[in-house]
Amino acid sequence: MKKKLMITCKEATDMLSQKEEGKISYENRLKLWYHLFLCKWCRAFKKQDSLIIKHLHSLDTRDEQQVLSEEEKKSMIEKLKQF
Amino acid sequence: MTSLNAEKWISDYSDMLYRFAITRVNDSEAAKDLVQETFLAAWRNFDNFKGEISEKNWLFTILKNKIIDYYRKASTRLVQQIPEGFNNSEFFDDTEHFAQPYQPNEWGVDYNQTIEKKEFYEVLDKCRKKLKDLQGVTFTMKYLDGMDSDEICKELGITPSNYWILIHRAKIQLRTCLEKNWFLQ
Repeated sequence: MKKKLMITCKEATDMLSQKEEGKISYENRLKLWYHLFLCKWCRAFKKQDSLIIKHLHSLDTRDEQQVLSEEEKKSMIEKLKQF
Repeated sequence: MTSLNAEKWISDYSDMLYRFAITRVNDSEAAKDLVQETFLAAWRNFDNFKGEISEKNWLFTILKNKIIDYYRKASTRLVQQIPEGFNNSEFFDDTEHFAQPYQPNEWGVDYNQTIEKKEFYEVLDKCRKKLKDLQGVTFTMKYLDGMDSDEICKELGITPSNYWILIHRAKIQLRTCLEKNWFLQ
């Protein structure tokens, strides 16, 4: 059964997520490749998506500002000791 | 094996546990409660701590589980909000191609380079926090906690189909937000 080769931007961007997790079918992989070949928006999307994901990984280690106040810490200590 | 010392625990671990929690729950009161509950649970169960992992990792494991419970409770409230199908009209036009203002523009950057600027991470975090509810939770579990889609579906009680829709929308929104607020400033 031959299905259409052309997919839409909506389908392509969805498939990028599946490809990222290694959960894309062979057929969809081909369709995605073909769409990316033709569509500059999705080509840009793919590169930008990868860039974002790469930087998300270090988001955790970047924020050094958040700390608890001394009162809050004292209160936590008290609560433990009550137990 | 260390002895039970409340002052030392709080002094050594409270800030890092708090930072971990607040990145994920976005609500400082909820984050503080989670940290408090973590210390209490660890304190009560100290007899069961065999020292096979470090104290720090043990506390983080307790906190992570509490965060997942928190997500699950939030998700139960929000499950009704999962989009039935992907809402086309917003991001895509009638032919399902990108519609304005969601069309990706060229950013003119080296996509292989790592951005170091502190301001960029602030914008990234702000954009990430704009992802609301179940979409935000799913996205956080995947990209901050490194959880796998099967795990996420199981923890939140959603289907794989729900999951793909949530991630898909989240990515489009995040990309658009970053383009507007950083790359094409």
